[in-house]
Amino acid sequence: MSRHKSSMLFMIAVVLTMAVGLSACAPAAPTAPQPAPAAESPAQPVSVRLWHMEQPPHRVQRIQQLIDEFNAANPGIVVSQEPQNWGEIYTKAPAAVAAGNAPELLFAIPDFTPILKDLGKVQPMEDLVAEMDALYSFYPTAVEPYAYDGHTWALPLYNMAHSLWYRPSVFAEAGVEPPKTWEEWEAAVEALTRDGQYGIGLPANKHLYTDQVVYDFMVNAGAEEIYNPDGTLRFNNPQTVEAYDFYSKLYRFSPPDSPNWTWGEAEACFANRTCAMILQFTVITTYDTQAEGDPNDLGVIAIPHSPNVEESGTIAYSNAVMLLTDDPAKQEAAKEFLRFLLKPGNYGRFLNMEPGLFLPVTEAGSQDETFWNDPLAVKYRSQIETMIANARNGRLFGFTNGNTFPSIAAISAQNLLAQTLQMVVIDGKPAAEAVAAGQALMEEAIGE
Amino acid sequence: MDHASSFSSNDTTQKKRRATASRNRLGGYLFVAPLLLWLAATILYPLFSAIALSMQDIRIIGTAGDFVGLDNYARILGSESFWQAFGRSAIWVVGNAVVQTLAAFTAALILNQRFPGQQFARIWIILSWIVPTVVVVIIWRWLLSSSGVINYLLMAIGLTAEPVGFFGAPTTAATSVVLINAWRWFPFMAVTLLAALQSIPQELYEAAAVDGATAVQRFWRITLPLLQPVLFVLGLVGTLLSFNVFDVIWLLTGGGPSNATTTLPVLIYDTAFTRYRLSQAAAISVLSGLALLIFALLFIRFMAPKQEDES
Repeated sequence: MSRHKSSMLFMIAVVLTMAVGLSACAPAAPTAPQPAPAAESPAQPVSVRLWHMEQPPHRVQRIQQLIDEFNAANPGIVVSQEPQNWGEIYTKAPAAVAAGNAPELLFAIPDFTPILKDLGKVQPMEDLVAEMDALYSFYPTAVEPYAYDGHTWALPLYNMAHSLWYRPSVFAEAGVEPPKTWEEWEAAVEALTRDGQYGIGLPANKHLYTDQVVYDFMVNAGAEEIYNPDGTLRFNNPQTVEAYDFYSKLYRFSPPDSPNWTWGEAEACFANRTCAMILQFTVITTYDTQAEGDPNDLGVIAIPHSPNVEESGTIAYSNAVMLLTDDPAKQEAAKEFLRFLLKPGNYGRFLNMEPGLFLPVTEAGSQDETFWNDPLAVKYRSQIETMIANARNGRLFGFTNGNTFPSIAAISAQNLLAQTLQMVVIDGKPAAEAVAAGQALMEEAIGE
Repeated sequence: MDHASSFSSNDTTQKKRRATASRNRLGGYLFVAPLLLWLAATILYPLFSAIALSMQDIRIIGTAGDFVGLDNYARILGSESFWQAFGRSAIWVVGNAVVQTLAAFTAALILNQRFPGQQFARIWIILSWIVPTVVVVIIWRWLLSSSGVINYLLMAIGLTAEPVGFFGAPTTAATSVVLINAWRWFPFMAVTLLAALQSIPQELYEAAAVDGATAVQRFWRITLPLLQPVLFVLGLVGTLLSFNVFDVIWLLTGGGPSNATTTLPVLIYDTAFTRYRLSQAAAISVLSGLALLIFALLFIRFMAPKQEDES
């Protein structure tokens, strides 16, 4: 080959390699946080951007309805929403903060808040929490996961809890009673598995949904504590091993594509009758719009428990909203919007953006007529009451028994509960070995 | 004209030529300057930024970090997950290359024949290439789900008694992802090969036919050698592009199950944005870039088509 052509090809290779390789692979370099934009002039309305992760169109529509009402009643403030995705927010929010483009309000769950707090952008909200508590009386368990390091870092908005969903007619046909213990549960799942129907739909994806379902099993095995009181990990214990072992037993009766599931696939599996039961926050909307919609044939019960545990528990946690602006005008505008949201009459409609999924975090909210008067809430009232009852015995990993361990954020962000499950159900490791490996991964995640 | 004046005239002419050449050169530099500046901004800046980032201990994007030298590289090179992802990337690239090349060659040879609907087929084939990745992923996830069409057909014809979890086990997930990506990209290769096939003079085939060459001989002795330059470029560019595919894998499997489809780009994303180890992710990026550079140089050294005028 001539020298000229060699040089040309070399140049092409270098340019292609750099362009395709490094520029595609390299994460964006960090940028210095931008100073907060100056407060807008009094003549202009104060703008407040809200990021939330309630993407389904009907939820976006309900939030928009409330925003429109608020904006109309408050000419000096313009609230706008920008729906995000739970799958991406752990990446996008820190990047937005770094780029100086963070929203003023961002929805949160307890293990997401520490990540943003560590970036120094989250504003303390104990004043607004106290104000709302005086008016509407927060359930203490809703506030506790957000209160640490001397402040309350988010305002609770709604509660969520897993339950076991099934169809009474399908159980009756198989001669199965709703299970209360693990022994009854395993027998029921086996009896319900037949041609075209899986006894249960259990996820095995490395995803938040799997983390949540795994924790359901852990709570019901008496392994709800991941940390010792001194902050060291106690994930590797016999109760956790029992939980993973039992999960793998039931997983054998789950659809083969469940290692790729998130919440939606589980709901679809239940709605199209492929799964006889699933663990989910709610299936009410899907069941009502895409399945039979017969409230008498939608069963919901507490998640069965191990013989070593006295009563059923579940994963439950409050979703909240963080304030990410240090501009006083924007702070006040954002707080005004939150006062509007929690006000009875508005709050019930806010919760019913997904009827039967979002449960009140205030005593006033649980009595709000607009919560109970929604047509779906009327139709499925008994199911919603059962969900609220189940939520009373709720737990959340890293936030149990009054302790709060912010380092759980690293464990949760990496879905290490789910990764440990994959070692058992995908790689075929014994539960004890997988749980030991899982604890090592957790120690690495929080220790580096 | 005496000798001296002739010399002086030549000297003046040469000076004029040099001045013209110098002006032309300057003009050339001015023409390419915007492109070079653009390349510097879009390639060199990210490159040096990634290298600088890889020598710090930044965890979350936007936070500060200390200089740690080559610590991240030492950690990455000693990490099992890096070498596993590297191995998966190699399998991914080879798998895609084999499947795409076979499919593209077959399609190009068929489309190079005259048959009714040839024009329609040539347009139809590029559909999978122009459809957005997210749409491709949704279609395939639906087709391959346990209640999807493919499982229905497999059970209907008795090949399986129960639905197959295509994304549920490491081997089937890796195979499915390779096949889906190859299905998405082979039309690009097929169209390029088709264009190259059409540039081969028909006289060569006619002469070979007169000499009694069979179809297979014509393929090996005429088609394949004359496609060498195009195959070389496709091999180089295709490998580099294929190595860096992230979207299809992430959207189909998220790197699972049990990391079975975690290639290097997925590992980089995971390290940066779920493990929050930005500097370590940058180190993996730099190592990946180096691996690709070495591959490109070796590929050019050993696979470049031989030139007839080679001295």
